[in-house]
Amino acid sequence: MFKGVGNPSTTLRTRLVSHRWLWPAVGVFIILLILPPLAPRFYVYIFALIFVTALLAMSLNLTVGYGGLFQFHHSVFYGVGAYTLALMLTKTSLPMWVGFIAGPIMAAVVGLFIGWFCVRLSQLYFGMLQISLGSLIWAIVFRWYTFTGGDDGIHGIPRPPILSSSNRAYYFILFALVICLVAMYIIVKSPFGATLQAVRDNPQRCEAVGINVRRHQLMAIVIATFFAGVAGVLFVVLERSVFPSLLFWTLSLEIFIMCLLGGWFTFAGPMLGAAIIVALRTFVGKYTEYWTLVLGVILILLIFFLPEGVMGYFLRIGGSANRRIGESGKGAG
Amino acid sequence: MLGQSFSFAALASQFLVGLSRAMILFVVCAGLSFVLGVLRVPNVAHGALYMIGAFSAYSISTLLGSSPAGFWLTLILAPLVVALVSLIAERALFCHLYQREHLMLLLFTFALSLILGDLVKLVWGATYRSVLAPAFLRGSFPIFGSAFPRYNLFLLVIGPLVAIGLWLFVNKTKMGKISRAAAVDREMVGALGINVSWVFAAAFVIGCYLAGLGGALVAPTISITLGMDHNIIIEAFLIVTIGGLGNIWGALVGSLIFGVTQSLGVLFWPQFAIVFPYTAVVVVLLLRPTGLLRSVW
Amino acid sequence: MLQVEAVHKSFGDFAAVYGASLTVEKGELVAVIGPNGAGKTTLFNLITGQLKPDKGKIVFKGEEISGLPAYQICKMGIGRSFQIVNIFPRLTVFENVQVAVLSHQRQSSNLFSPAQSLAVEETHRILESVGLSGQAGNIAGSLSHGDQKILEIAIALGNEPELLILDEPTAGMSPEETAATIQLIKQLAGPEQSRGAGAQGLTILFCEHDMDVVFDIAQSIMVMHHGQTLIQGKPEEVRMNTQVQEAYLGFDAAQPSGGEPDA
Repeated sequence: MFKGVGNPSTTLRTRLVSHRWLWPAVGVFIILLILPPLAPRFYVYIFALIFVTALLAMSLNLTVGYGGLFQFHHSVFYGVGAYTLALMLTKTSLPMWVGFIAGPIMAAVVGLFIGWFCVRLSQLYFGMLQISLGSLIWAIVFRWYTFTGGDDGIHGIPRPPILSSSNRAYYFILFALVICLVAMYIIVKSPFGATLQAVRDNPQRCEAVGINVRRHQLMAIVIATFFAGVAGVLFVVLERSVFPSLLFWTLSLEIFIMCLLGGWFTFAGPMLGAAIIVALRTFVGKYTEYWTLVLGVILILLIFFLPEGVMGYFLRIGGSANRRIGESGKGAG
Repeated sequence: MLGQSFSFAALASQFLVGLSRAMILFVVCAGLSFVLGVLRVPNVAHGALYMIGAFSAYSISTLLGSSPAGFWLTLILAPLVVALVSLIAERALFCHLYQREHLMLLLFTFALSLILGDLVKLVWGATYRSVLAPAFLRGSFPIFGSAFPRYNLFLLVIGPLVAIGLWLFVNKTKMGKISRAAAVDREMVGALGINVSWVFAAAFVIGCYLAGLGGALVAPTISITLGMDHNIIIEAFLIVTIGGLGNIWGALVGSLIFGVTQSLGVLFWPQFAIVFPYTAVVVVLLLRPTGLLRSVW
Repeated sequence: MLQVEAVHKSFGDFAAVYGASLTVEKGELVAVIGPNGAGKTTLFNLITGQLKPDKGKIVFKGEEISGLPAYQICKMGIGRSFQIVNIFPRLTVFENVQVAVLSHQRQSSNLFSPAQSLAVEETHRILESVGLSGQAGNIAGSLSHGDQKILEIAIALGNEPELLILDEPTAGMSPEETAATIQLIKQLAGPEQSRGAGAQGLTILFCEHDMDVVFDIAQSIMVMHHGQTLIQGKPEEVRMNTQVQEAYLGFDAAQPSGGEPDA
């Protein structure tokens, strides 16, 4: 972990190679690359869904795990991104790619707006205010039948011709995910990310060293909601529909569970949590209609027995004396 | 639609309807606020407990009939069912988490809401139910030229009764005073030799009882369906937030604002009636982000 | 350099600070003393912006800073350590100080460069100057209390402050740790000849309960009692002042049996 620290001349290449997770990650990536021709269509779809959900969970963790913020209604921004693209594709004749850019930007704008009010408050108040403001947006989307399709949502959204097949959509989503992950990693490792974690741990001390805590938190929110908007756009590419349930508070808390399940003090934990939940939901759903009950039980088991999440658990037992709590938030997996 | 002028009668009658709805909201939110005040955790399962109250009222009233006696018994027993469920959840699981950070408690209540929601589906199925009000509360009588349901008048009486009862409990009984003290300083209460865990258990059960009571009260007025938990919990959260976290009078103020703006909204803009109370919430939160009344802590 | 003019701060009915005044000249080592509850920490909080004064003015380098947010005051050149250890427990010692240095270098919002290659030399320099180099890789939460208090000071130094405010820097320390900290403070203030009004060393304002420490290094002492300033002056003046002696000094050069015990 301190390879490279104190040595500005270390090249990017040697720094990357020194991380133990890199080669397994490349291996997984290669497997994912060759999946579509080999696996049944349903599995390709499920994996693509996992990618989208993973991106959403990772974006939440920027605010929760790294920022310590009570981001209780993150799915609003996901839904805004999705609906923006959906509306632009179905109601306007602008080129499709405009919608792809507009979605995340719109999500970030809404994030900036809601965030600006929320950062003036702390903790529980922050969360409750976000739920309130987010629910207002949900209510508008839910009721505005003529514009947003209301309860029904919007269906049959056209995909850009390049992405016409589900395999192509799969690759597009996979590459978008990887690019976003790289971006998030760079951000987390940057001075901004280091300062964000310091703000999480001790905002008062940060103020005393000259950091404008509110502004910093707001920046984190805008970045996180931008990525949530990207996830929303990818959702539309995958499903070709949008529904108001994308903005509902239950989804927000579900993403929270994913971060908790995977381990919110690790970088990749939320991805793992998303994968587990989506996979479980799909396969448990085949045998019972009581998936919600199962999810609730999983959450209770997590709270009681695995609060550090799956990734956190494996880091703890698999790690050497080098592994420390503070480190797992910054350098590991 | 907008721009139409309304008679005083229409406005007044809708206002009363809003007040009645506010009474049910108050009963539910008072419970949520109470738990929030003492345990400092918003109980996400509150909506599911409200739903269980409504479904239990359905089952009990089906059993006992809708005679006046049956009605009153339902109103007493249904919330007790909910209180029992919450007591089991609390003693078996919740109480072991009191030392953990509040986020864990909140996530637990979320898990509980998921489980209870599906339990209702398991026990009662997915079809919607309805409950008949007892004969003496059926029908309506004219107020301000409109037909005002008798049941709403009943709610307008019950609401203040619950408020008074709660006030008496919190301020005049030993239990109430202890829970108020625990809300402000739980370590001190513990240092006085009082078992804080039992205080929390009692507060949680009382709060959930009120949720069940709200469900039982609302049962004759709506169709009882799965999903009513999701809707009520958002409204309850909003109301509790604008009222001031943990403040029961705040819950009353918030409920009144919410209920009245919603019913007046129905008059002005039926399709988007829901936007009125939500906008009121946003306005309040912009001006007083921590709520209209002081939070309990 | 710093002028505090008759500031007031009340919490409800309790007047924590009631008309306190303080003057700190550039390069000076100033101490604030007073019994527990005299309002020293509140005064420091008013200066560094954690609290806003109800009345009165605080002027730093000619500009009024009363009521400004803490982060702005810090950027103007005031660094501060806290009485109760206030570090980043989950980060390493190195990262603790690095955060402050990054903030000083205006890099906090830098999204693109890897943090571990920035501000490395400066951070190591600071760690060396306080003697924590050997622990740079340790998690801050695992340090001994004394070392954490030193880390407190190191973090404050990360901003290259012109005025360093130390709130009870030796509280809870063993005698050896206290002596080491005194050495450190002397070192930071610069060699003897560069101390004192108008000099070039770091300006330091601190408060302490340990009278030996205070009279050893302070050039100017301000005495607080019940939120008010009793007197500010050179150590000998303060020692001789009867009001101060009554308040709490607990010894008196002229009267061997007089004075109240140290509060």
